[in-house]
Amino acid sequence: MKIDYSIEAPAIEGRLSLSQIEELIAKPLDSKPDKKFLLALSISGSALALGALCVLLTFYYGIGLWGNNQPVGWGFDIVNFVFWVGIGHAGTLISAILFLLRQKWRTGIARFAEAMTIFAVMTAGLFPALHTGRPWLDGYLLPYPNQHNLWVNFTSPLLWDVFAVSTYFTVSLVFWYVGLIPDFASLRDRTTSKIKKVIYSIFSLGWRHSHRNWQHYEKAYMLLAGFATPLVLSVHTIVSFDFAVSIMPGWHATIFPPYFVAGAIFSGFAMVVTVLIFVRKIFDLEHIITVNHLEKMNKVILATGMMVGYAYAMEFFIAWYSGNPIEQFVFINRAFGPYYWAYWIMVSCNVIFPQLFWIRKFRRNIPLMFVISIFVNIGMWFERFVITVTSLHRDFLPSSWGYYTPTLYDIGILIGSFGLFFTLVILFTKALPVVSISEIKAVADGAQPSHHGEGGH
Amino acid sequence: MSEVNYDYKTKELPKSVFTTGIALLIIGTVFGVIGLYLDTQRFLLNYLLAFALLISVGVGALFLVTLEYVAGADWSVPIRRVTEFFSSTVPYLLIIGIPLLFNIGSLFHWSHPEAVAEDKILQSKAPYLNTTFFIIRFFVVGLLWTLFWFLITRNSRKQDITKDQVLTKINIRYSAIFIPVFAITISVASIDWIMSLDPHWFSTIFGVYFFAGTVLASLSAVTYAVVKLFENGYLHPKITKDHLYSLGALLFAFINFWGYIAFSQYMLIWYANLPEETFWYLNRWEGMWIYVSLILIIVHFVVPYSVLLSQPAKMDPKRLKFAALWIIFAHLIDLYWLIMPNYHAENSNPWVYLLEFAFPMAAIGVLCIVFYLSYKKSNLLPLGDPKLERGLKFKL
Repeated sequence: MKIDYSIEAPAIEGRLSLSQIEELIAKPLDSKPDKKFLLALSISGSALALGALCVLLTFYYGIGLWGNNQPVGWGFDIVNFVFWVGIGHAGTLISAILFLLRQKWRTGIARFAEAMTIFAVMTAGLFPALHTGRPWLDGYLLPYPNQHNLWVNFTSPLLWDVFAVSTYFTVSLVFWYVGLIPDFASLRDRTTSKIKKVIYSIFSLGWRHSHRNWQHYEKAYMLLAGFATPLVLSVHTIVSFDFAVSIMPGWHATIFPPYFVAGAIFSGFAMVVTVLIFVRKIFDLEHIITVNHLEKMNKVILATGMMVGYAYAMEFFIAWYSGNPIEQFVFINRAFGPYYWAYWIMVSCNVIFPQLFWIRKFRRNIPLMFVISIFVNIGMWFERFVITVTSLHRDFLPSSWGYYTPTLYDIGILIGSFGLFFTLVILFTKALPVVSISEIKAVADGAQPSHHGEGGH
Repeated sequence: MSEVNYDYKTKELPKSVFTTGIALLIIGTVFGVIGLYLDTQRFLLNYLLAFALLISVGVGALFLVTLEYVAGADWSVPIRRVTEFFSSTVPYLLIIGIPLLFNIGSLFHWSHPEAVAEDKILQSKAPYLNTTFFIIRFFVVGLLWTLFWFLITRNSRKQDITKDQVLTKINIRYSAIFIPVFAITISVASIDWIMSLDPHWFSTIFGVYFFAGTVLASLSAVTYAVVKLFENGYLHPKITKDHLYSLGALLFAFINFWGYIAFSQYMLIWYANLPEETFWYLNRWEGMWIYVSLILIIVHFVVPYSVLLSQPAKMDPKRLKFAALWIIFAHLIDLYWLIMPNYHAENSNPWVYLLEFAFPMAAIGVLCIVFYLSYKKSNLLPLGDPKLERGLKFKL
C-alpha cells in the first residue's frame, strides 16, 4: 500500500460533524440494555459469582485451600496480582504519557483504557488482601500510631506496594474523573430524564464550557498527566522490587524494574486491543477507534514485546556470564526443568507470535490481532507464573524440592478476577461515555484553526 | 503534496569550527601520548573513555535518526541533518578503536591466560571473554553500525535531489531493523568495553544503563549544535522555540530515565547486599571515589533535572545550551566513574591526573571535525523529505 508521508493521518475518520460525534458516543447511555448486553453481563457475572464463592470458602477455611505450600509459598495470589497490576498500566500510559507526547490518536482510546486501568488495579488489589488470610486485619497495613505500638515493616517492598498501588489508583481515578467532567456537562445538557440530570449535574461540578473552565481544566489535566507519568513507572518498579530485592536466584536481577514496566505496558496494551476490538464494533465506533489506532497499538505491542524478549535473553546470558552455578541452574531449570512447558508458553506467546506485527497487513488484520492479543495476555500471565514458581520450586535444599499445582479454588479465584474485571467493564459501557466526547471534538476535522490558517492553500 | 518554495540557502559554517577541532585533536593527542608515556595503563583507560564518548555521541545520534523514522515524528525533520552529522562519527569508530585492540592485554584482566588459569570464575567466562572473540565482536558490531549509518544517511541525502517518498519508506524499514540491532550491539559493546574491565562483576541492567547515557550524550550534542545554529541564523526561519522545546523535553525525559536506571541498579544491589555484586560499588566508595560517586548523582541528575524542569527552561536557548553542555560533561564524569576505578596501581606523580583531560578533548575535536566536514557535504535541511513541511509548521 502506498502511504503519503507528507500528510498526517486524521485522528478520526468519516468526517463526522460535532453533533454526530456527541450523538454517537452518548447513544449507548440513552438506550435500554439489549439482549447481547445482558448475555455478556450474565457470563461475566457468573464468573464473578464463582470467584466470590471460592473467596468465601477461603475466608471460612483459610488459605490452606490454595496450592501454596513449601517450597512454593507464593503461587497464584502473587501471579494474579502482578498480572492485573500490569494490565492496569496501559491506561495511564495512553492517557498521560501519550498526552505529554502530544499523540492525538490517543483520544479515541484514552477513556476506555483509563477505565480498564482502574478496574484492573481494583482487581489486583484483592489478591494481597486475600493472601493475608485474615483480610479484616488488613487495616494494619497502613502505618498509624496505635496503642499496641504495632508498626508495619518499612523495609519490606510488600509495604511499598501498598503505598505505590494505592497512590497509583487514586491518581488514576482523579485523572479519569477530571477528564470526565466536560462530558458529564454535555450529558447533563442533553438528557431528558430528571434523575439523570441531577446525577450528571452533581458530577459535572457546575461546568459551563466557558473559556475560563477550559483554561483551568487544561492546566489541571496537564499537571495530572505530569504526576501520573512517574507513577506509571513507579508502580511496576515497586512490584518488581517484591522479587528483585531478595537474594533468590531468578528473582534478583538488576534489569527487573525496566523489564517489568515494559512487560506491564505490553500486557496492558494487549488487553486494551482485545477489549476495543469488541467495543468499536458493538457501539459503531469504527470511525473513532480506527484501524490506524489499533495498528499503532500493535506497534507498541511489538516494541514492548521485543523489550521483554531482550530482558529474557539478557537474564539468561548474565546468568551464564556470572559464573554462579546456582544462578545458572535456575535458568536451565526454568527452560528445561519440570516447568519447561510454562517457560515455552511464555516465550512463544510474548516473543515469537508478536513478531508477526512486523508486517503491516497483519498489524491491520482484526481477527489476527485479536488472536495475538489473547496470546500476549496468556504469555504475560505465564511470565509471572514462571518467575514466581520456577524460582521457588527447587530451592537450596534438594530434599525439599516440590511441584506446585494450583487447586480448584486457585483457579476459581482466577476466573473470578476476570469476572470482576469484565463485569465492571461491561457496566462501564452503559454508565459512562466510552470515548471522551470533548477530546474527540477537539481532534475532529476542522476543529483546529491551524489546518486552514497559514500556508494551507 | 504541495510544492514549497523554501527560499533558503545553507549558510557556510565558519572555518573556525574546523580549525578548533583540529587544534583540540592535536593538543589532546599530544598530551595524551605524553600521558601514555608516563603511565601507560592509566592513559589507555583514558583513551577508552574518549572512545566510549564517541560511541555514545555517534551511535546515539544514529539511534535518534532511526527513532524519528520509526516513530513517524515530524517536528525533528528540519533538524535531522544535525543529528545525521553527528552520526557520521560512526565509521571512524572502527579506526579509533584499533589502538585499543593492540592493548587488550593492558586493559583487560581476563586476557591473561595465567590469571584465568587460577581463577575459576574467569575460566567459566572464557568462551565469551577471550581475545579472539572480543576482536570479532568489535568488528561485527562496528561494521553493523557503519552499514546502517551508510544506508540510512545515503538515502536521506539522495532524497534531497530525487524527492522520492519511497526513500522514506525504505529508511523506515532500515530503521525498524536497526533498533533491535542497536539494542543488542550497544549492550555487547558496553559489556565488552566497560563491564568486562572488572570481569567478576555482572549486572543485567548494564546495557540499559549505558544506553541511557548514550542517548543523553548524543541528544545533548544535537541540542547544543541546534541551538548554536538557531541563534546564529543558520537554521530555516520557520524553526522556532517550539522545536527547541521538544529537544528540551526529550533531554528532561532521558535525564529521568538515566536516574531511574542508575537508581534501580544501585538499589537492588545495595538491598540484596551480595558480596559478588557489591564489591563493584564498594570500589567506587573508596578514597576519592566517594566524592566522584556523590558528585555523579548531583551532576548527572539533580542539576540537569532542576535546570530543565520548568517549561520556559526547555525552550530558552541560553538555558538549553547550558544544559546540553552540562550533560555532555556529566556523561564524561559518568564514563570516568565507570572506567577509571579499574586502574589499581599507585601513582606518585600528581601531574599525571592533570593530563587526563587530553583524550576527551581530542574526542571533542573529532566531533567538531566530523561535524564540519559532514556539514560541508550536504544541505542543512532535508529538502526532499515529505514530512519537512509538517515539521516546519510544527507548533506546540
